[in-house]
Amino acid sequence: MKPDFIQGLLATQRPVSRRQALSQAGFGIGGLALAGVLSDMGLTSAHAAAEGSPLASHASMQVGKAKRIIHLFMNGGPSQMDTFDPKPKLNEFHGKTLPAGKDLGKDKRLSGAALGSKFAFKKHGQSGIEISELFPNVARHADELCVIRSMFSDVPNHESALMMMNTGNLSLPRPSVGSWVLYGLGSENQSLPGFVVLCPGGLPVSQSANWRSAFLPGIYQGTHVDAKKSADPEQLIANLRNDFVLPDQQRKQLSYIQRLNEMHRQDRQGDSQLEARIQSMELAFRMQTEATDAFDVNREPESIRKLYGDSLQGRQMLMARRLVERGVRYVQVWHGAGQPWDSHNSIEESHRRLAGECDQPIAALLQDLKSRGMLEDTLVIWGGEFGRTPTAQMPLTPKVGRDHHSDGFSIWMAGGGVKAGHIHGATDEIGLGIAQGKVHVHDLHATILHLLGFDHEALTYRYAGRDFRLTDVFGKVVKDLLA
Amino acid sequence: MKTRIFTAIIALAGAVQAADLPAGDDAFFETKVQPVLLKRCYECHSHDKKIKGGLALDSRSGWEQGGDNGPAVRPGDLEKSLVIKAVRYADADFAMPPKAKLPADEIAILEQWVKQGAADPRVAAGGAKKRTIDIEEGRKFWAFQPVGNPTAPPVKDKAWPVDAVDTFVLAKLEQASLKPVVDADRFVWLRRVSLDLTGLPPKPEEIRAFVKDNAPDACEKVVDRLLGSRAFGERWARHWQDLTGYSDMMGTSNSVFAEHAWRYRDYLIHAFNSDKPFDEFVREQIAGDLMPAKSVEDRAENITATGFLMVGDVEIVNPDKGKMEADHIDSQISKLGTVFMGMTMGCVRCHDHKFDPIGVEDYYGIAGMLRSSPSTHKIPFGVWSRLNTTDLPETPEQLAARQMQEAENAENIVALKADQTRLTAEKNALAAEVARIEKLEKTAPTDTASGTAPVAPATVGEAKGPQSPKPADAQQDPGSDKEALTKKRDELTERLKKLAAEIQHAEFFRSKVPKAFAMRDGDKPQDMPVYIRGNPYALGAMIPRGTVRVASWTAFPQIPEAQSGRLQLAEWLADKRNPLTARVAVNRIWQKLFGEGLVRSVDYFGVRGELPSHPELLDHLASRFMQEGWSQKKLIRSLVLSRVYRMSTANDSLALKVDPDNRLLWRMNRQRLDAEIIRDAMLAVSEELKTDSAGPALAIENPDNTGSLVAKGVNPPSYAHKVPRPSQEFERTVYLPVMRGGFAGPDRVRSFFDFVDPAQIAGQRPQTVVPTQALFLLNNDLLRKRAGALANKIIEKESERNARLEDLWLRALGRPITSEEHGDATRFLEKIEPLLKGKPAAERLAWVELCHTLLASNQFIYRI
Repeated sequence: MKPDFIQGLLATQRPVSRRQALSQAGFGIGGLALAGVLSDMGLTSAHAAAEGSPLASHASMQVGKAKRIIHLFMNGGPSQMDTFDPKPKLNEFHGKTLPAGKDLGKDKRLSGAALGSKFAFKKHGQSGIEISELFPNVARHADELCVIRSMFSDVPNHESALMMMNTGNLSLPRPSVGSWVLYGLGSENQSLPGFVVLCPGGLPVSQSANWRSAFLPGIYQGTHVDAKKSADPEQLIANLRNDFVLPDQQRKQLSYIQRLNEMHRQDRQGDSQLEARIQSMELAFRMQTEATDAFDVNREPESIRKLYGDSLQGRQMLMARRLVERGVRYVQVWHGAGQPWDSHNSIEESHRRLAGECDQPIAALLQDLKSRGMLEDTLVIWGGEFGRTPTAQMPLTPKVGRDHHSDGFSIWMAGGGVKAGHIHGATDEIGLGIAQGKVHVHDLHATILHLLGFDHEALTYRYAGRDFRLTDVFGKVVKDLLA
Repeated sequence: MKTRIFTAIIALAGAVQAADLPAGDDAFFETKVQPVLLKRCYECHSHDKKIKGGLALDSRSGWEQGGDNGPAVRPGDLEKSLVIKAVRYADADFAMPPKAKLPADEIAILEQWVKQGAADPRVAAGGAKKRTIDIEEGRKFWAFQPVGNPTAPPVKDKAWPVDAVDTFVLAKLEQASLKPVVDADRFVWLRRVSLDLTGLPPKPEEIRAFVKDNAPDACEKVVDRLLGSRAFGERWARHWQDLTGYSDMMGTSNSVFAEHAWRYRDYLIHAFNSDKPFDEFVREQIAGDLMPAKSVEDRAENITATGFLMVGDVEIVNPDKGKMEADHIDSQISKLGTVFMGMTMGCVRCHDHKFDPIGVEDYYGIAGMLRSSPSTHKIPFGVWSRLNTTDLPETPEQLAARQMQEAENAENIVALKADQTRLTAEKNALAAEVARIEKLEKTAPTDTASGTAPVAPATVGEAKGPQSPKPADAQQDPGSDKEALTKKRDELTERLKKLAAEIQHAEFFRSKVPKAFAMRDGDKPQDMPVYIRGNPYALGAMIPRGTVRVASWTAFPQIPEAQSGRLQLAEWLADKRNPLTARVAVNRIWQKLFGEGLVRSVDYFGVRGELPSHPELLDHLASRFMQEGWSQKKLIRSLVLSRVYRMSTANDSLALKVDPDNRLLWRMNRQRLDAEIIRDAMLAVSEELKTDSAGPALAIENPDNTGSLVAKGVNPPSYAHKVPRPSQEFERTVYLPVMRGGFAGPDRVRSFFDFVDPAQIAGQRPQTVVPTQALFLLNNDLLRKRAGALANKIIEKESERNARLEDLWLRALGRPITSEEHGDATRFLEKIEPLLKGKPAAERLAWVELCHTLLASNQFIYRI
C-alpha cells in the first residue's frame, strides 16, 4: 500500500490538473471571473462587491424606523442632575446629610452631603423639556429629544458599566451592540467598514472590548479611528496608504494578486471564504480612495464646517455624519480617551468644559441630519455608562465632584422612530433612586433593536452550542419611548 | 411623589397592627400571608408563572425544599430564613422583590409568620417539584460515557486506508455513497505538513529532497524530522497558549507587566518538544507545585507549569478583594472546565447549569480547592493586587550565573551612582558659574537700561557664536560664555535625569532570582460555602471539595489535611477513566490538523454542543492516545501519515451538494495561516528568521519601556513596548510579547489576522475576512521588507529570469512554477518595469513587486 502512495504522489502531475480545472471553469486571461478585478474602478460598484459578502445589506425582521445609529458616548459618566434631570429639591438639601447618604448604592460608596447643581435649568421648546445651561445648543432641539431619566445599570464602576452598556454583559466577552446591528442588517457601503468607532486621543477604558465582535464573525467588529491623530484620513486608518508604489503600479500588482487568488480558488470550488477574500482585496483597494473621501471633513462646504465648528468634537461629529450618509451602519463617537466625563472633583469646571466641547457639534449634527431628511431614520443616542451621585464625593476635595451612580441616570435619543419631545421616567426628588419608569440597559438594548426592526429575543447567534442574544435572558422593549 | 427614603419611616406604623393578629394558625396565613405572597412573589415564584431560581412559593413543600440556595423558610428562625433576608433588603444582591422593597407592614407580616412557625396549609399543586439536576440521567449523554475502543468498521475500498483512522472515515463516506477526492501531490502535502507541524514552510532543498525520495518511508522521514525540530514545540505551544489567555501583561488595566509569564511559554514549548505525556502535562499544570520532582530542573518545571491557572486576564485593581478573588476563581474554573473537560462552568457560579448535569456543588467543590490556593496578593499601590510568584530552584550552575548577573548589576549601579555624583558636582559648578554671570549681568548698565539680556555682544561682534566659546575670555565675554555654559548645564540636567531613571531601573530589577507566576497551597486549605448568586458576601451551604460528579466514576478521594485538593483534581482529570479529558484533547489535535474538530464545538462537549461527526473514530483516537502513553507526538504522527490527511482540497460537486460542510471528510479543509504563521512564514522564505530565541518577551531591560518604578504609588509600574529589541523583528512571533489591547511594532500582524484576544479562551480561532487585512497585505511595511529581502535572495542566487522564477515559486509557494504562471509573471515584470523607470535599480524593484504579489496572495496565506 505504502509504495503505491508514494508512486501515486509522484504521478500526480499538478500543472496538468490545474490547467484542466481552469479550462473547465472557462477561465482564461481576461476571463469572466476576472472581469470585475480588471475593470476600471468606475465599473466595480460597491454594490456589486457586496453580493455574497457577510457585510451585504439585508432587511431586518420587520421594517424598522431606524436604519442606522450614531451613538454619542459620554464616557466617564455625565451627571444627570447637572444636565437633563433637574432636582430643585436636591438644591434645598444642599450641604445637608441625606438620610440614606452615608452608604450609597450597590458598591457602598461612601458619600458626603447633598450636592445641589450649580447649573440653571430652563424649559425648552414646545415640549418644555428642562435642560441645564450646559447644553444650550442641544436644548434648541428639545422637541426632537426623547429623554430617559430613569436608566439603571448593575455596577457603578467603569469597566463593568461600559461592558454592560456596550455589550449587555458586565464581564464576559460578548459582542457589542454595533456588532449585533451589523450582523443583523449588514452595511450599505462595501467600500467602508460597517461599524466605525471614533474615539479621539487613544482608547477608552476597556479599550477595544467596547466594540468587539466576540464570537460573532470578526468582520462585524468596530474599526477604531482616532480623529485626533490628524485631519488627514491617511493617518487615521492603518495601512490605508502605500508609501512604496504608485496607484497604477498597485493596480497592476493587485490585478496579479487577484489572478493568483482566482487560480487558487478555481481549484477549490465551493469555498466562500476564498471568494470573500478576493472581494475584500477589492474593498481594501476601493477603501484607499473611498475612506480618504469619507473621513475627510475638509471636503464639506465651509458653511457646514462652520456649523459644526473647527474643533475636535466638531470634526468627529461631521465625520460621523459623512459616514452614515455613505451607508455605514453604526458609528460610535466617544468623547475621548480614558474617561473624560468622570468628574470626581471640580465637577463644575470639568462638566462646563466637556459640555462646552460637544454641545454645539452635537446640535449641529442634529440640525444637519434633520435638514438632510436623515434624522427620521437615523437613531442618535447620547449618554454615558452611568450617572453620578446627588451627593459630594468623599473624601472632600477643595473643589467638589460627584461619584459614580448607576441608579437613575439620564440618556437621550433622537430620530429613528423615538417619541420626540418626550421625557420618560423619573428619579426621586433628590435623584438617589428611580421613582418611576425604570429602564435597565437591557431594556434600552431591546428598544434599540426594536427601532431597527428586530425582535431582541429572536436576533440570535449560535455559539458554543447556545443561541446567544444581545439581551441575554433579559430586556423588555420600552413602548413609551416609541413614536 | 414621595421618595423611598421618606415613605419607609412612615410605613413602620403598619407593623404594629399586624402584630395584634394571631400568627400561629392557618387563618393568619390565609388572610395575611398568602395575599402578600400572591401579590408580591407569585409572578416569579409559582407554578402558574415562573419558578425563578428554582423556588416556588405556592405550596408548603415549595419553600421547604427551597430553590437553588436551599430552603427558603426555616420555621421559627428569622435569621436563617432566606425569604426574610430577601425582603429585608439587607443585602442589595439578595433583595426581593427585585423592583422595590415591600412596605414595612408586609415585611412585618412575613416576619411574624416565620417567627411563629410558618403555618401553611397549602399542599403542592400537581407534581410540584424542585428542578434538580439528575446526575444518573446525565451520565447517559455520550460525552460522559466511558471511552470505548471500537474496532474499525468494514469498508468496500480496501486499498484506500493506510491507518485505522482512514477506515473509520471511509466507512462513513461509503455509507453516504461518497468517495474521498484524489490525494494531494507531494508539493502540497509537504507544505501542508510542514506548516501544520512547525508553522514554517518547507525550504527549497527540503522540497527537492522529498520529491526525489522514492523510499517507502519518505513521508515518515519528513514527519519525524518535523516532529523532532524545535519549531514543532514553538507552533504547538502557541495552540495551547490560546487556551490559557496567555499574555505578558497582567490584566487589562494600566499595562502592568507580567515579567515572568514567558517561563510558562517556554515550559510549553519544551513540553511539546520533549513529548511530555499528556496526562503528566495536565497534572503539572494544575498541581505541579504539589508533585514530587526528580531533579532541580524538574521541580522548576513543575512549579512553572501551574502558570496555566495564573496567566489569564486577571482583574487586579478591584478595591473589593472578596469579589476579586471570587472572579479570579471563576475564571480559573471556567478555564479548567473549557480546556480539559469541554464544559462551560462559569454559569454554575450562580445556579445549576441550565443544560448540562453540572451543579452548584460541582462548581464550589472545585472552587474550594482554588480558594485554598490563593493566587494574588495585595500590594502597596492604591487598591492593586498582583499575581503570586514562586522562586524557582536553581542548579548550582544557574545559581552561579545568576549571582554573576546580580554582581554585574550591582557594579553597574555603583558605576552609575559614581557618574551621578560626578556629574551632579559638575552641574552644580556650572550652575554656580551661570548664576555668577547672571549676577554680573544684572549689575551691568546695559542690562538695567534695556531690560533684556546680553551685555557684551554688540561690541564683540564676530567673536561671538555658540560654536566658539572661549573659556579664557570668560571675563570679557560673559554673554556668549553664559550661553555655552547654560547649554552644557542643560545637557547635564538631561543626562542626570536619564541616569536617575537608569539607577532606579537597575535597582528595581536588582534581584535576578528566577521566578514564575505559580500556584501554591494557602495556609488554611478548607471547603467553602456557596456564594449565593455568585456573591461572595451572600453565603450558602458549605460544599465539600470535589469535582464534576457526572464525569466521575467513583467518589472523590479524601483530601489530606492541609492540602488544597488540586493534586487530587489533577489526578482525576488525568485518569484514564475520565470520559472527557482524552476525548477533548484528541479532538483539539484533530481540529488543528483537519481544520474542524470531529466535535466541531471544540471547547464545548455539553448537551448544547455539537455531536461528534465520527463518534467511533473519536473514541478510537482517545483510547489509542491513552494506550500509547498519552503521547501527543505519536498521535500527531499517525494522523498526518493517514490517507485522510493526504487528500487534496479538490472539489467534488456531488459531495459538495450532499455534504457542503465537509463533515464526512471527503476532502481536506483548506486553512488560512494564523497571524503568527503569516509573519513567520514570510521571515522564513526571505531567510531572515532567527531560530534560536527563548527567554523574556518584554524588553523590560530598556528603561524607555518601563513606566515609573517607584516603590509606592497609586498605580504599580507599567510597561509599554515602545522600543523592541532589534532582534525581535526577526524572531518567531511566539517569542514576541503578547500585549493586552493591541500590538505595535514588528508584531502588528496579530492585530489584523484573528489572533486570540488574551481575554478569551479559544480552542479554535475564527478566520475572518476583513478589508483591514487586505490593506495590511497591500500596504504594510512588513510585506515590503520581507518582499525586499526575498527579492535580494533570489537576485543574489540566480542571474537569469527563468531560474529566479523557479526559485521564487519554490520558496514562496512550495511548488514549481507552471508554464502559465511563468507567462503571467514574465508579463507582469515586463509591465511593471517601465513604471519604475528612472528609479534606481528598477529591475530589482520589479522583483520586489513580484515577491510582494506572491506574499499577499491567497496561495501564500492559505495552506491547502
